[in-house]
Amino acid sequence: MLKGHLDMIVLAALAAAGSAHGYAVIEEIKQRSGGAFDLPEGTIYPALHRLEQAGLLTSRWTIADSGRKRRVYSLTKAGTRAFAERRAVWKQFSDAIGGLLGGVRPRENPA
Amino acid sequence: MIQDYLDSLSRELDFDRSLSRRVREEVEDHLWEAVEASPTGNELEAQARAIASFGDARTIAAQFAVISLAVRSRRAGIAAVFVIASVYVAMKARIAWYAAAQWAIGDDMRAVSGLVLQIDRYAFLVSMIIGLGGFIYIRSRQIPAAFHPAYRRQLRRFFLLCAATVAALVVSVSSDAVLTALQLRGPGLSAMSLVPILSMAIEVACVGFLVFHIRSVALRAASTAALMTT
Repeated sequence: MLKGHLDMIVLAALAAAGSAHGYAVIEEIKQRSGGAFDLPEGTIYPALHRLEQAGLLTSRWTIADSGRKRRVYSLTKAGTRAFAERRAVWKQFSDAIGGLLGGVRPRENPA
Repeated sequence: MIQDYLDSLSRELDFDRSLSRRVREEVEDHLWEAVEASPTGNELEAQARAIASFGDARTIAAQFAVISLAVRSRRAGIAAVFVIASVYVAMKARIAWYAAAQWAIGDDMRAVSGLVLQIDRYAFLVSMIIGLGGFIYIRSRQIPAAFHPAYRRQLRRFFLLCAATVAALVVSVSSDAVLTALQLRGPGLSAMSLVPILSMAIEVACVGFLVFHIRSVALRAASTAALMTT
């Protein structure tokens, strides 16, 4: 399930963090999801590259305090729009499921 | 340990050198940051943990291979449009040159040249329509996260469109070659013949460039599929 929503999760993390490198994106995801989304860290990078190719992210090299080269990503305008759209769709879906589940009690076993 | 992992990742990403360099630098920063953040005092253990959390190099390379393939396919679509435009410019330049030099095909070859010209026009028109269709088709597809069957079908459709574009272009350029030969038959070879010959060479080179581009995408698709299955 997580795989299908990875793009939205990455967009959400970057929307919250402003601009961030891969490691910081993963930390943001872990922190905001309360550790629920503990995905293989390496899968974030292909997602970042894919979203960049799709024009939803932009990136640039910086030098970290450690002196290492660091690729920092941020949302483009199209990325911000795409995130808002996906969030609205997700909210609609979540409300609908919440409405369905909220009114239904688990059926008791008659036996 | 981290260097060994990075070497292995670079080897897996060897199909795209610039991507390999960029990913290596990004991953290196990630792994060292993970080591620095590790609560364990043992650096070797911290490195092993960072690598384990990052995931298998081949699996990650396979995900990058799909993105790289999608980008290359899009570039092939752009190449098709560029080649069609270049062939058109070369054709128009040659016709303008004939008009300026007042060269005309002899009466004995009028009928043949008329027929070849019709073939040329329609073949070029077909290549333009299909080529633009292929470009729009591949540009409108999302870059996939995996090499799934739906994406394979999209690629197959794109290759078919590319193949049809190239076939129509080959017919058009061959017709151009026949027409050029008929034009040069009258005045014979001279320094002035260089312009039509050069424009023909440009057309042939353009088609060759497109074939090369499409072939490289097809090879990349095959290597991506192999990376997924092994």
